[in-house]
Amino acid sequence: MQMPEPNQTIISQRDALAQGLRQIVGKDWVISDDAQRRPYQCDGITAYMAMPLLVVLPGSAQEVQAVLRFCNEKGVKIVPRGSGTSLSGGALPLEDGVLLVTSRLCNVLAVDEHNRVARVQPGVPNIKITEAVSHLGLCYMPDPSSQLISTIGGNVAENAGGVHCLKYGVTANHILGMQAVLMTGEMLELGGAYLGAAEGDLDLMGVLTGSEGLLAVVTEIAVRLEPIPEVARVISMSFASVEEACECVGAIIGVGVIPAGLEFMDRKVLDAVSVLIKEKFDDRTAALLLCELDGTAVEVDALVGVVSDVAREQGAIELKVSTTEEERQRIWSSRKLAFSAIGKLCPDYYCTDGTIPRNKLPEVLNKMADMSRKYGLDYANCFHAGDGNLHPIIMYDAAKPGDLEKAEAFGADVLIACVDAGGVLSGEHGIGVEKRDLMTHQFTEVDLQQQQMVKCAFDPKDLLNPGKMFPTLCRCAEFGRMHVNNGNLRFADIPRF
Amino acid sequence: MTDTQTTASMRPATTQDVADILMDAASRGEPLVVRGNGTRAGLGNPVAATRVLELGGLDQIDFYDPDDLVIRAGVGATLDEVEQVLAQKGQYLPFEPPRYAGLYGTSGARSTLGGAVSTALSGPRRILTGAARDFVLGVEGVNGQGDVFKAGGRTMKNVTGYDISKLVTGANGTLAALTTVTLKVLPAPRAEVTLVLPAATLEEDVALFARMRALPLGLGGLARRVNAAGVCELLVRVEGTVPGVAGNQQVLNGMLATRGGMEVLEQEQSRALWVGVRELECLNAKPDELVWRVNLLATTMPAFVEQARSAGCINRFFVDWAGGVVFSTMRGVQPEVDTLRYRKMAEKAGARATLLRAPDAVRAQFGAFPPVSAGIAALAARTRTAFDPAGILNPGRMTVQA
Repeated sequence: MQMPEPNQTIISQRDALAQGLRQIVGKDWVISDDAQRRPYQCDGITAYMAMPLLVVLPGSAQEVQAVLRFCNEKGVKIVPRGSGTSLSGGALPLEDGVLLVTSRLCNVLAVDEHNRVARVQPGVPNIKITEAVSHLGLCYMPDPSSQLISTIGGNVAENAGGVHCLKYGVTANHILGMQAVLMTGEMLELGGAYLGAAEGDLDLMGVLTGSEGLLAVVTEIAVRLEPIPEVARVISMSFASVEEACECVGAIIGVGVIPAGLEFMDRKVLDAVSVLIKEKFDDRTAALLLCELDGTAVEVDALVGVVSDVAREQGAIELKVSTTEEERQRIWSSRKLAFSAIGKLCPDYYCTDGTIPRNKLPEVLNKMADMSRKYGLDYANCFHAGDGNLHPIIMYDAAKPGDLEKAEAFGADVLIACVDAGGVLSGEHGIGVEKRDLMTHQFTEVDLQQQQMVKCAFDPKDLLNPGKMFPTLCRCAEFGRMHVNNGNLRFADIPRF
Repeated sequence: MTDTQTTASMRPATTQDVADILMDAASRGEPLVVRGNGTRAGLGNPVAATRVLELGGLDQIDFYDPDDLVIRAGVGATLDEVEQVLAQKGQYLPFEPPRYAGLYGTSGARSTLGGAVSTALSGPRRILTGAARDFVLGVEGVNGQGDVFKAGGRTMKNVTGYDISKLVTGANGTLAALTTVTLKVLPAPRAEVTLVLPAATLEEDVALFARMRALPLGLGGLARRVNAAGVCELLVRVEGTVPGVAGNQQVLNGMLATRGGMEVLEQEQSRALWVGVRELECLNAKPDELVWRVNLLATTMPAFVEQARSAGCINRFFVDWAGGVVFSTMRGVQPEVDTLRYRKMAEKAGARATLLRAPDAVRAQFGAFPPVSAGIAALAARTRTAFDPAGILNPGRMTVQA
């Protein structure tokens, strides 16, 4: 993985830049010494590291604005960062760039119970929103697994998903408005606090959501709140083969049920988990599905009946249905502990994020088994089956020379297989630096150019989070002049990272 | 009603033909009206162009995978056909796209899927299931330089690259001539009933809507209208499984008992009623009246409506989305003066007022869509240039030159 060459002139101005930034945010909130910058060297992908030029922690939207304006004038790059839980390297620092951290912007600013909307700052951890409104019987629905730590600003930047997005949608479906600052320091108010507030001109909020910090820095967000479902029950269904479990996923949805969550775990995950939860799974079980149903008690009881019937028809060998909240939590604990359980089996693991049409699950899972043999690396599967969102866990040992590279190649092969099956490189983790160089496998040069032209409209100097998402830097000045009739051959000479 | 200066139309049947037409037009800087079958051409500002690029010929259904909740079709596929295909598998388009054929005097049967995406209109169910923008998974289109591009995909979750699909949704053909769209669909609820009850004051009704929505009852419609007999009533649509609906109905019965006089419409009757709401039939808009949509905070709606009525800016109106949207008619006596007054009133209330129907001259002068801040307008203009540097795709459809 290669990043753009750092600009040595900028690096040589470090002290002067630190001084300028301290005048904006106060002396305590610019971090320049090595020891304190070190924790910011990586995000959720620890394999990629870089020391940020400086770390800045603004305390208000106005300070964000001033920091961006200052850096724009000096030609200094910005990498925005929330809690640094990105699993794609989206918050990987640049050696010649300022890391703009939103941790101090961590307030729930207003809750409007009647219109069911909360206005929050970007550094608020996802879970804190629900905690702030649960006494009103409301919640913020999107729940990425990282929700205890990951911030709503990061969720917006990555358009985060989570277990419940099958039924309730992803982050983009829950944002009503936002305040965003362009690299120039210009502040924009997009949308508002009600449905349709953003309509009437282009859906700029829609394209900002999931733009991985390349287009603007979001400084306030208006989120939709939902009533907390009255009841949730989970059904655990074991199958003797992976194929049967996959087919059951399609059958549940085909019969007209949209579960609140539908998760898949293979035998390797179950074995790892059973040690931790001290529970044995049936020996015949090759794969387990967890299906959560929520709503009113009557509705959920009806759906539990429907799904149980489908599971039996699909050959489920064992069904367990939660009847109390404690049972529900216990059944879910296997899924929640899956990643840490796998972590105990191997020194390191690498988890990627391709997404496929649900009916391609058996095909792609079979290909994974072949890849595992090819690379000589073990793997396990634990993923959001209802969304076709795969999270293969590739086990390796970073201390072994060549192992990381093999794991990365294995991961890349999985993603390529996903795209070839009609899917996409990323369902919820984002492209960042991790999947950047695979973008050309999913998109044509024209597709990518069109996306980069959007970048030019927002950040023509390419100072916001450059080197992420696209395999080439933006060449805004040249776009539009390069048009020739044969689109496919236009950019053969562009240097790649 | 619409782009009346146009004299010729082109109706390509393939993406390549669309690309050829646009490349040719771009080379000459010739602006084009871009539309599906033109059934909602009265929406947005009139476009000054002599030729029309009509995409209604791209009407194939590429695939429909009910187990995967996804359909891809040409933009010219009609909504009627798509909805029929989905209904055969018990599924539907959750955003309940309006046709507005009655409003524009066109044929709703010819309303296209591409038009639904490009206008991003969403029906009464939006409060429960979401808007058009929430269901567009992917698109293929041709930009203003004649380049064919695709964005998004067909999977439920996808964060690969910028969400260009959202950007083109609701862009009214000003970024690209879309050629295919891929949509997420959902199983249609097995059961639905509508409770009809007498309305009270706007304040009381909005408060009641909020109380009902505070419970997780799966309410797919909360509207307030004047019925054919001139009586003001509330409409509450309950959807879900058969036992679920029955259970929720019971909860609501308890909650609404004090209002008295409740009527229950089952399945087909309920369905027909909400088609009428979706199509704004209860506005009963006269041909010379202007028609408005105002999006706002439900809690601010009653005061806004009262003020606009006493100022003569609202003639008839009804409320949807649990109070979050007001559809209204305006007498066409002094449309310029009233349009300006109504927009100002909306702006003061923090609301967004869209002129759904008005004479060409009024839309050309004031814009069908509410004005945005200078910063957003500039960013939107730069974004349009990124797709259509020569400005040939529906120029001025969404914006008015200052």
